[in-house]
Amino acid sequence: MNPFKLEVEELERKARSVRRKIIKLNANSPAGGHTGADLSQVEIVTALYFRILNCAPDRLTDDTRDIYIQSKGHAVGGYYCCLAEAGYFPEAWLPTYQHNDSHLPGHPVRQKTPGVELNTGALGHGLPVAVGLALAAKRDASPRKVYVLTGDGELAEGSNWEAALVAAHYKLDNLIVINDKNNLQLAGSTESIMKTDPLDKKWQAFGFNVTQCDGNNVASVVETLEGLKAEGKPNVVIANTIKGAGVSFIAGRPEWHHRVPKGDEVELALKELSDV
Amino acid sequence: MSNSEHFANIMVQCFIDAVQNGVDLVPVVADSTSTAKIKPFVDAFPDRLVNVGIAEQVLVGTAAGLALAGKVAVTCNAAPFLISRANEQVKVDVCYNNTNVKLFGLNSGASYGPLASTHHSIDDISVMRGFGNIRIFAPSCPRECKQIIDYVIAEEGPAYIRMDGKALPELHDENYQFVAGEPSLLRSGKQVVICALGSVVHEAVAASDILKEQGIDVSVVNVSSIRPLNKQALAKMLGETKHIISVEEHNINGGLGSVVAEIMAEQGIVAKLVRLGIEDGGYAAAGDRPYTRKMLSIDSMGIVAVCQQLLQSEILNA
Repeated sequence: MNPFKLEVEELERKARSVRRKIIKLNANSPAGGHTGADLSQVEIVTALYFRILNCAPDRLTDDTRDIYIQSKGHAVGGYYCCLAEAGYFPEAWLPTYQHNDSHLPGHPVRQKTPGVELNTGALGHGLPVAVGLALAAKRDASPRKVYVLTGDGELAEGSNWEAALVAAHYKLDNLIVINDKNNLQLAGSTESIMKTDPLDKKWQAFGFNVTQCDGNNVASVVETLEGLKAEGKPNVVIANTIKGAGVSFIAGRPEWHHRVPKGDEVELALKELSDV
Repeated sequence: MSNSEHFANIMVQCFIDAVQNGVDLVPVVADSTSTAKIKPFVDAFPDRLVNVGIAEQVLVGTAAGLALAGKVAVTCNAAPFLISRANEQVKVDVCYNNTNVKLFGLNSGASYGPLASTHHSIDDISVMRGFGNIRIFAPSCPRECKQIIDYVIAEEGPAYIRMDGKALPELHDENYQFVAGEPSLLRSGKQVVICALGSVVHEAVAASDILKEQGIDVSVVNVSSIRPLNKQALAKMLGETKHIISVEEHNINGGLGSVVAEIMAEQGIVAKLVRLGIEDGGYAAAGDRPYTRKMLSIDSMGIVAVCQQLLQSEILNA
């Protein structure tokens, strides 16, 4: 059971709050950040933690809890902001992001941050581990579902496709892969660097049940995730997003892959993200 | 020899015993069912094995996921493919995440002989020593192999077990007790200390027996536990002579030869060290075991010759 079960309108408010935290978190970082990637995944992670996931801050040792894996580990800033918003650790930790010996390093570390399930950062690691978790849940007849969020540039890592074969072979319909398809990666557009399209056909060919949603629209994300069926096939949700979504001067701009807001940009962004 | 046993058979029996004793152990293979000789386990527990196909990255990632879900995950495939192909999964999913995965590097070293260097793992110890959290073992004989496997299954956390690919004879009697971290003195002598690990321990023991007949008195130390390692205990054994030889079917860089050199330097042991193994920048020859070992001077006669040369140079320099 999710302890929040928020309705769409409340989720939208939460998403704005998470985005405000992302702006401040990155502005305060001594070592840069991944603002664009943090922002593109906000609706997905917010919907998961405030409605979908059968998980709560006081159930981190419950063997039946759902598991969320942040495979696009560089977007850990957005992940931290959502975990803090949901009460997994004190919000007072957020200003320590990437500071020396912080609870919140620049990629997820489960030994340091309550709620983080897997250390990632090297790309293409989340899905194979998620396959192991989902397989264990099947074998144990556990109600657990395993969610893994990947980037789209990340899908060039071959380990994803090794894992895709195994997921389909073992009929892991308790596994939900979400592709944060923002069409941008470190050095430019995914289309120009290594295109993944037609992504839906690739997953279909690998034996997945494929769904698409507007990944920056909470209603679309919720409807899609709640509509998934467990019918003997692993699920993939291609969440079409905009990198940097929510802030006009960050959205869709590749230079914000590794940029953080500075000076007036912070106030401008927070103004755009206010609730009124 | 009649008491020889293949380590993979020992491994599989340990797995069967563990599950029968209530351990939620799940072997993961990469089409390596025959390499792992795992059929008796599958016969006993038809629904336990996970086979991910020929895909080492997902082999290790899946094992880490199974471990995070509470299983004792054991991967069983050929060491060269585990180490090289799944290097980052070992580093991140197993070591960094500190998951309860036991990595069995089967047919390690140059066990695959004539199949050539794609199939040799001459860097596995050096690679594993570069990673955090993981324990590293290299059994040399059946009793030690069984006890190491029982130990790693019982202990929470990552482990790498370097498994030779041939049936090997026993070195210990029934009173043997493996203690993680402790080097074991198999032969005691004053003139040379030979340190070895894994299957070449047998070459070192054979060399010491040949030398004894020639009136030369050497120690043989089996360093089956690379991490943890009681460095003081090994230093004490090394400090007994002025001549030390390390023997391994592994590159001399990063393996046992490096371990011994580091301990000598750190503990201030002044002695001549000869590191036998695959030379700096080299590969093992593609050939059968006697040929490959002869080329590297890690067979018993090669070790004997190196001991004789060391002692001869001592006389000449005196």
